[in-house]
Amino acid sequence: MTTNVPVIDSHHGTPATGKPNFLNCSSGLMSWAGTLDHKRIGVMYLVGTMIAFLCGGLFALLVRLHLWEPHGMLFSNADYNQIFTLHGAFMVFLFVIPAIPGSLGNMVLPLMLGAKDVALPRLNLLSFYLWLTGAILATLAIVLGGFDTGWTFYAPYSLYTNKAVVTIGLAIFVLGFSSIFTGLNFIVTVHKLRAPGLTWFRMPLFVWALYATSLLQVLATPVLGITVLLVAFERLYHIGIFDPRLGGDPVLFEHFFWFYSHPAVYIMVLPAFGIISELVSVHSRKPLFGYKLIAFSSIAIAIISFLVWGHHMFTSGQSTYAMFAFSFLTFFVAIPTAIKEFSWVATVWKGSIALNSPMLYTIAFLIIFAIGGLTGVILGALNVDIHLHDTYFVVAHFHYVMMGSIALAFFAGLHHWWPKMFGVMYDETLAKIACGIIFVGFNLTFLPQFIMGSRGMPRRYATYVPDFEAYHRASTIGAMVLGSGVALMVFYLVASLLSGKKAMQNQWGGVTLDWHTPTPPPLENFDHPPSVTTEVYDYSTLDLRTTQTPVS
Amino acid sequence: MSHDGHHSVVIPAPGPEFLPHTVAHHFDTPVQEFQAAKLGFWLFLATEILLFGGLFAAYFYYHEAYPETFRLGGHQLDWKLGALNTSVLLLSSWTMAMGVRSAQTSQKKKLLVYCGLTVLGAAIFMVVKFFEYKAKYDHGLFVFPEMFHGYDTATGQLPWFKDYHGVMAGVPHGHLFFAIYVTMTAIHGLHVLIGAGLILWVMKGAAKGRFHAGYFLPVDLVGLYWHLVDLIWIFLFPLLYLVP
Amino acid sequence: MLALLIQDPAKINYIEKPAPRPEVDAFGQLEKLASTFHDVDGLFYFTYAVCIFFFVLITGVLVFSCVKYRRKTFDQPPASNTTHNTPLEVVWTVIPLIIVMVMFAWGFAGSIDMTTVPYEASRNAYKASAKQWNWTFSYPNDAAKSYNEVWMRVGKPAQFTLESSDVLHAFYVPAMRVKRDIIPGRFQTVWFTPTDIGEYHLFCAEYCGENHSTMYARVHVVSEADYLKRPWDLWEDDTPEKAVKSAASLYSSLCSTCHSINGAVGVGPTWKGLFVKGPDGKITGKQRDVLVKGEKQTITVDDAYIMESVRSPDAKRAAEFPNGGMAVFPPDQLDDRRLKGIIEFMKSLAEK
Ligand code: HEA
Ligand code: HEA
Ligand code: HEC
Ligand code: CUA
Ligand SMILES: [Cu+2]
Repeated sequence: MTTNVPVIDSHHGTPATGKPNFLNCSSGLMSWAGTLDHKRIGVMYLVGTMIAFLCGGLFALLVRLHLWEPHGMLFSNADYNQIFTLHGAFMVFLFVIPAIPGSLGNMVLPLMLGAKDVALPRLNLLSFYLWLTGAILATLAIVLGGFDTGWTFYAPYSLYTNKAVVTIGLAIFVLGFSSIFTGLNFIVTVHKLRAPGLTWFRMPLFVWALYATSLLQVLATPVLGITVLLVAFERLYHIGIFDPRLGGDPVLFEHFFWFYSHPAVYIMVLPAFGIISELVSVHSRKPLFGYKLIAFSSIAIAIISFLVWGHHMFTSGQSTYAMFAFSFLTFFVAIPTAIKEFSWVATVWKGSIALNSPMLYTIAFLIIFAIGGLTGVILGALNVDIHLHDTYFVVAHFHYVMMGSIALAFFAGLHHWWPKMFGVMYDETLAKIACGIIFVGFNLTFLPQFIMGSRGMPRRYATYVPDFEAYHRASTIGAMVLGSGVALMVFYLVASLLSGKKAMQNQWGGVTLDWHTPTPPPLENFDHPPSVTTEVYDYSTLDLRTTQTPVS
Repeated sequence: MSHDGHHSVVIPAPGPEFLPHTVAHHFDTPVQEFQAAKLGFWLFLATEILLFGGLFAAYFYYHEAYPETFRLGGHQLDWKLGALNTSVLLLSSWTMAMGVRSAQTSQKKKLLVYCGLTVLGAAIFMVVKFFEYKAKYDHGLFVFPEMFHGYDTATGQLPWFKDYHGVMAGVPHGHLFFAIYVTMTAIHGLHVLIGAGLILWVMKGAAKGRFHAGYFLPVDLVGLYWHLVDLIWIFLFPLLYLVP
Repeated sequence: MLALLIQDPAKINYIEKPAPRPEVDAFGQLEKLASTFHDVDGLFYFTYAVCIFFFVLITGVLVFSCVKYRRKTFDQPPASNTTHNTPLEVVWTVIPLIIVMVMFAWGFAGSIDMTTVPYEASRNAYKASAKQWNWTFSYPNDAAKSYNEVWMRVGKPAQFTLESSDVLHAFYVPAMRVKRDIIPGRFQTVWFTPTDIGEYHLFCAEYCGENHSTMYARVHVVSEADYLKRPWDLWEDDTPEKAVKSAASLYSSLCSTCHSINGAVGVGPTWKGLFVKGPDGKITGKQRDVLVKGEKQTITVDDAYIMESVRSPDAKRAAEFPNGGMAVFPPDQLDDRRLKGIIEFMKSLAEK
């Protein structure tokens, strides 16, 4: 990749400092387990959520292998049901929701604000331990008989099935509070700890996105908390709220669940939007197109997303008025998102584009998210959704947004801030290869699912009619390709920690405050209290001597 | 945690019976610390309200679906006891507010007295609640010991709902009202207990002299929490005891 | 639970008799439509085209930019530093808005058609009862029922009333573009007009537990003449052999999701060995441990016990299944005549 470097050699630029930093300022297990430093907590989140992702991915591979044969290849039906539930629950509650805010958010948000830490460091550590407790409880639930309800826990099945539903309910309750506390902390930090001169409209868009996410976390998650609590009560002492045999209404459960879980999809995706906004600008070395609109659209999405939950229930027999409103608002929420997508593309246009690995992941995101989002719009059309609801079309839609977009944005951010966090660089060539494998494997896995879904293949099927065999097999092969790409990525990232070469002080040439501190940052982030005097993303201020931007 | 080389701001104690307060290292000023904690706490209170919001939604939904059940069920509650508890909580909210004021004006003794009164209020509330629950138990409207026994899926007969006197006979799903009543009031009761515990913790700090005009943040926050507990009851009382 | 990497042999019934492969429409996406709901396909293809348009546009711009504006020197500045272009921003807000409003109106109108049952359909009312994990259909003005198979007249609008006695299920016939959740305790309906003679899949599209994926039924759309032969009521039991044969097929559509006949334990006990053949060829019931209100008793299996197991299974539960779980079949779902046939079938399994 450094073949055609005309101006400078690869060792030019300021390398990362050898001064004490947050990684080596103290050592020993307790210095991590009891740390209040947002960066260490971020690293712990990173390790935790990555492990959760790999476990979830492992379950996904089992799901795909099983579906190689129409009558199922590996498991009994009952076991298959547990595997896909585990896959969904791990991915959603232990990975996508906490991953970006917990790891990259924790790491970068105070740096971007020029703060010494988040506002409430103790609460931050508590969030992490709540996450860990949730993860342990979820794992315990597997041992205690597993759970086979699907990640949606629809009543009344979740009330009758003879499995560890209460344990996993408890896990979700605890994880919910972990998420709430992270959000709360970020809101306070953004309000109270901005560096002098850092006005709201000078904040990087990652911060804006995390802020909007936090609002959702604080306002939507409690409803999930009470919902799982009610399910637990229902199972333990049969209050009858969701149990039709006792006069309860299972549809009420669906309303409760989606009142949280629809905003939750934006809890997952807004931080990803933030990362993409950041990276598009840095790697095109161009101010973001339509900064204010992107910032406001995050808030708009956050607000509207509270009003569309009914689009998951178009076949459950809602009133015509409800259908009307939910469908209308669903289409409406697509507009701020469309604005974002177009603004990103316009930023890339006529930029100075460095095709390094974070940028490749970003471009993969932009392409995949267009498909994922637009298929969401298809699902918002009332009569079309009647046909497509609960088929693999929906499965493909949400994997395009959750795996193809959010997970890839997370990887993009990870590659972008990896040198900042650890002061080392991974192998760029391998990184580009892995990105390619993941992109191809991903599309091979999920494009066939759109087709079989629109031809009527229902989801959550352990066995299927032979008509769909060819699609399922293509999808399984794709998943294997995808899995090997992910494995490669984990490999070179870990390898870089052991023997990576030193990263540059400002590896990519960013101008936000996170690149103004030493790499890796010292314990309280800044050697000198920072203050901001320029507009955000103003690359004329970039000191090219601090950076060695790989040229491709 | 030691943060060598960084000097944190210290708020001096106003008198010998008080302790100074050290501002956390990552804040520049005491005001910043105070405001951050306060904003965070308000957000936390919002989540508490939303948590109860789910329960209220369920209440309204079933009130709509089974109006008769809720009417009859409401009659089984003793509105006089409910009203008594309402006034106890209102009074305790006042004593708590006075406690916060005493902290702000560095009146250590008064702070302890007012907090003590508030805890007393919490205790009275819980005792009254106990008698109310006991009455439900005696009438077989909520047989606590049998709460966790399953139920007969064919007949839908619940072990905890016996209704010895048949007061709910003739209305559909009579147990629903009591299920919602007990769930809501028990979760609220738990909040009362947590609140009382927090006030006791404040008293412990107050006795040591931690809170004074320069630093009263924990007292302020616990006070807010206690007002929230009170506020939720203000909604629960009419909905459960009066509206039906 | 993960230890069970083995396949349960007695579970799938639709694999043995695969349905004809669904035909595909011109675009290659949707299965051939066999009802009057053209709107669904029209809107689907419209949105599909919109998606492809925007996808191509976005990918095109990105790929072009990456090629043309790639950073070739270390300090190459961007070709432009524009951060605003109000007309452009208005355009890309308003055009998507118009497009999605079209989709909304079109989809809403279509869904009104799909949920408003016309008078003619309501006069041709079927009932579909879903339970874990099978379907029972009753016919307009006809006492007979059929299981996991349903016959309909071509060209005649029909309504299905949906009911569930346990958990959520969903009635889904892809070729007809209809789907509706079935909610215990709620009244739900779907309607459609089958337009083409043929056989179609009916899936359960709402997750309902272990055998959700095998909760499958076949929709036969037949001509008026064929319909009048009442194919769903072909139950022959003039001779014991015929009864066993009819019952065997009923078994495979109704009971085989939970009971095996080869000794494998499924959701319920196997039927193998329920009856045994003595040395004299006489068939008698086996000794069996049951739980009556939780108390263990030993009984001898006989016709009455079987009848009771089907009508009120919880009265005497098989001791290995203390939690029960047997689906109840009252007489209006499984009449005595057929139940007797099933008992004959069980007896025919007896071995020495
Ligand atoms: C993070 C995850 C995420 C995100 C971001 C989205 C985004 C969207 N989703 Fe998705 N969705 C899920 C996760 C997500 N979804 C999940 C998990 C489920 C299933 C849950 C389950 O049942 O298990 C689901 C299911 C789901 C359904 C229910 C399907 C069903 O079960 O029947 C619907 C229906 O309306 C829907 C719609 C949408 C819409 C309109 C958007 C919009 O926000 C998309 C907006 C984006 C774009 C529009 C693309 C970019 C813009 C352009 C390329 C410009 C051009 C645009 C236009 C012309 C409009 N989603
Ligand atoms: C963030 C969310 C997320 C992500 C990233 C994924 C990722 C993937 N999902 Fe997931 N999926 C869901 C969320 C997600 N999924 C949800 C919510 C459901 C619905 C569940 C329900 O219905 O209740 C679902 C359902 C679902 C189904 C449908 C099951 C069914 O309905 O019957 C399928 C089937 O193909 C599937 C496949 C995959 C695949 C192949 C991936 C791949 O992208 C995974 C790629 C990752 C890897 C392959 C990891 C690599 C691992 C290794 C290399 C092994 C190393 C391991 C260790 C060291 C431990 N998923
Ligand atoms: C949902 C699953 C399910 C279906 C469908 C089902 N059964 Fe059962 N059945 C069970 C279970 C579980 C038991 C054991 C518990 C019990 O005895 O109540 C059982 C027990 C029985 C028994 C007692 C067997 C013994 O060994 O003592 C008989 C007889 C029986 N079923 C008949 C039938 C018939 C006939 C049908 C179809 C018309 C049927 N079952 C369909 C689950 C099912
Ligand atoms: Cu019945 Cu799924
Ligand atoms: Cu949604």
